[in-house]
Amino acid sequence: MNISCEAFDDLLFDASPLSMRTAEEHAAQCAPCAEKLESWKEISDVAKSLHTTWESDMLWPRIERALAAERRRSPLRGLTRIAAAALLTVGLGGTVWFAVREQVRDARFDEKIMRVSALDEVEKAERDHVRAIAKLEKLADAKIEESQSPLMVSYKEKLMLLDDAIAECQANIDRNRQNAHLREQLLAMYSDKQQTLRDVLREDTNVSNQ
Amino acid sequence: MLQAAITGILPMTGHASSAEDRRLAAACAAGDTKIFEELYRRFGDRMKSIAWNHLSSAADAEDAVQETFLKIHRAASTYSGEAAFSTWAFRILVNTCYDTLRRRRRRIEEAPIEEHETIERTAPNVDDTKRITLRKLLDELPEQRRTVFSLFEIEGLSHAEIAEILGISEGNSKWILFSTKKELQEKWKRTRS
Repeated sequence: MNISCEAFDDLLFDASPLSMRTAEEHAAQCAPCAEKLESWKEISDVAKSLHTTWESDMLWPRIERALAAERRRSPLRGLTRIAAAALLTVGLGGTVWFAVREQVRDARFDEKIMRVSALDEVEKAERDHVRAIAKLEKLADAKIEESQSPLMVSYKEKLMLLDDAIAECQANIDRNRQNAHLREQLLAMYSDKQQTLRDVLREDTNVSNQ
Repeated sequence: MLQAAITGILPMTGHASSAEDRRLAAACAAGDTKIFEELYRRFGDRMKSIAWNHLSSAADAEDAVQETFLKIHRAASTYSGEAAFSTWAFRILVNTCYDTLRRRRRRIEEAPIEEHETIERTAPNVDDTKRITLRKLLDELPEQRRTVFSLFEIEGLSHAEIAEILGISEGNSKWILFSTKKELQEKWKRTRS
């Protein structure tokens, strides 16, 4: 088989018996490739001689002793591993517990902040009601006192009842500021009182118009 | 009887892993001294040679072989059978040699390496000058190239086995050998001229 010098390396790369035979055939007719092949084979031949053996009577007994020592250490190593695993578990558990506790504490803090913030809003709404009621009372009081109509008397009674209920609710709230139910009740009473005062003023206007 | 049984379950390199390989691994994991002794008898010389060709020191090579046996004992229970047991053992040996080389490189001053006095060559008629030249050239090679060349050209392992040992493809092993030989050839010509 005729091959070019460029393909010579491919034969050496392939290194199969057929490729090497082809390379030798080409080298027989090509001096540069022959030189290349010679050094190629020479490296392989010298390499084979580098396989190194020596008598080492002590090596196996050494290995045997090391293996025996290793086996003796193995149970201890097992115990050490168990202890290390237990220590790691405790350490990890502690860290997780601490992290969860901090998270819960943060959540509680956030909740508290939210509650305080909500309470501020409720109290502001209550103050607004009180201010609005005070204004309405200024306007309505004189009319209520002057008018003797059954409707006005009924409004007056309702307002007195509402004032008592508001005072009682307020007293309870002073004992427990966070009680949302009482706050809700109080706001409802304030709204009712405001509405009643508006009704009084409107009624009075209607009466005047008649 | 036992000897025959042990010999029967110890495959040569190049075989795919088998049930015997797994039984061998189990025996090593259990610390069966007879199995280790047989392993040493079968592969000890080749292991020493591989280690010597990496470390250029008989004492270090013996240490590496001993360390390899301990590692086999420790890791035999994790042997998964993806390669023949002997190939797996050679992989441990080569990695142990790499570790030794790295430790050695870290040393600031390294004592000169002496050859063992009673070292024997398989081909004693080969010119010593050529052998020393090739050894020096091999010492200059990067780890992987040196390993591929040593395992193929010196120890006669196949590319399939080398690929298993180094965790590379067979084609890559073939290519590394070819390019390493080309490199050595260039240097060889320069040193000979």
